[in-house]
Amino acid sequence: MLIEARNLAHVYMPGTPFEVEALKGVTVGIERGEFIGIIGETGSGKSTLVQHFNGLLKPASGEILVDGKNIWSGETDLRRLRSRIALLFQYPEHQLFEETVFKDVAFGPRNLGLEGEELERRVRRSLEMVELDYDAFKDRSPFNLSGGEKRRAAMAGIMAMQPEVIILDEPTAGMDPAGRRSFLELIEKMHQEEKLTVVLVTHNMEEVARLAQKLFVFSGGQLVLQGTPAEVFSSAETIKKVGLDIPPLTELLQRLQKKGRVIRTDLFTVEEVGREILRVSAGGASIEQ
Amino acid sequence: MSNKSLTLGHYLPGSSLLHRLDPRVKLLSLLILITALFLVKTFFGFFLLALFIMVIFAVSRLPWRYFLRGLRPVLYIIIFTLALHFLFTKGGVVYWRLGPLTVEEAGVFMGTFMTLRLVLLVVTTLLVTLTTSPIAFADGIEFMLRPFRRIGIPAHEIAMMMTIALRFIPTLMEESDKIRKAQMARGADFETGNIFKRARSMVPLLVPLFVSAFRRADDLAVAMEARCYRGGENRTRMRELHTGPLDYYGLATVTAIVLAVFFSGV
Repeated sequence: MLIEARNLAHVYMPGTPFEVEALKGVTVGIERGEFIGIIGETGSGKSTLVQHFNGLLKPASGEILVDGKNIWSGETDLRRLRSRIALLFQYPEHQLFEETVFKDVAFGPRNLGLEGEELERRVRRSLEMVELDYDAFKDRSPFNLSGGEKRRAAMAGIMAMQPEVIILDEPTAGMDPAGRRSFLELIEKMHQEEKLTVVLVTHNMEEVARLAQKLFVFSGGQLVLQGTPAEVFSSAETIKKVGLDIPPLTELLQRLQKKGRVIRTDLFTVEEVGREILRVSAGGASIEQ
Repeated sequence: MSNKSLTLGHYLPGSSLLHRLDPRVKLLSLLILITALFLVKTFFGFFLLALFIMVIFAVSRLPWRYFLRGLRPVLYIIIFTLALHFLFTKGGVVYWRLGPLTVEEAGVFMGTFMTLRLVLLVVTTLLVTLTTSPIAFADGIEFMLRPFRRIGIPAHEIAMMMTIALRFIPTLMEESDKIRKAQMARGADFETGNIFKRARSMVPLLVPLFVSAFRRADDLAVAMEARCYRGGENRTRMRELHTGPLDYYGLATVTAIVLAVFFSGV
């Protein structure tokens, strides 16, 4: 198990009237190379949970294990850990601060002690990974980029750390559909080509249904469901009770099934669903015999 | 974490009698009590005032440790005052002597006196700030400044600026916490190194924070403009301040007790 949370609890502002119990006894595990989706309504504790994975927050009780070792036992170098398990916050463009895109992307690797040619190679590779042209962008001010470019530049800043795990907290918030699509394709590509372990925190059910191999559903600081997207979305009632929605395509398939059709409900792209519906309506009689 | 540093002046919601009083009454009472604390010249006077402040504290139903925490920032001033008076104020019986240093009666008297005064000042102020919401506080200030408008003090604008500043403290704290974490995730180190290295390490935190503060200020200005905001004259308010019988009793009590203390021969 790469990352493991055992009976994790977190309390914000303990001992004041503003005290909030954000996590209550959460136990989850993440394997190397997995694509995990974490869903839950606002305030369900999902952002709090992921900030424990790289030691940005310290649990009130319970433990976090990375490679089987408790990261708060005093033996783990938290700075090193954070370069292995990278976290991209919501609106990551707010972290940009340098004069040029090059310097900003280089901030992380420079903190790791990289310099000279190797640093340049890292920055070049990271910018190429997020599909920003190195020569065109390296000398520009990050504050003069478009919204989508800023986000990619910030993402490059994280990728330059060459992490094993990347945690993305609502990475597509406030983006237009085209930007959203290409950003998600980027993440998918990194998962497949760079063998990155990805943890995607989101409100968008369609995104995770299509991309994630495993879903964790949170509500009120507790894990209420986990499993493959097909398993999770088959519990439509629980999903709706915790303030979330079933992806429209899944709902369509589930309704057709309820009407008595023998149809698969574990498909999440328009193409697959379209083909399945055509198959059922064309050859429906022969299958239903 | 970050919230601890804000105790001085941090509002604690509640429903006690003190919470429900009109902010203007609380500010005026505070002014009266502070004046009294500065004018009192005997321990007996202090004792009476302290007793009264203890009663107000009991009424406020606030937890003790908020006062202890609020006193922490002034602890050094208190120690400093105490040390200065003990060592350098001369007169009366000599209690203790070490070479050229002496601790004398007048020094002990003055030191204790000043410490009491400081502690009571802070506690009284905390009693008001802990029970008054920032918005009510600003409204109260605006009212108190009103008489000075004639000499050109823009009461409404000052109160508006206070409200906005107070409103954005938690937002900016949250923002700085988020940016700090984001940079830590990129290997930034805010904790080790000498003072110059640490000052330099603040750049990745401060630049984004300023950028976002300016963006927020700009957004707020546009939003206010879009609602045709203009301050000052003839502006009505959503929350009118109302004084009830309770407020008059409160103010009367404070005035009566302070006067009684003085007439009993301070």
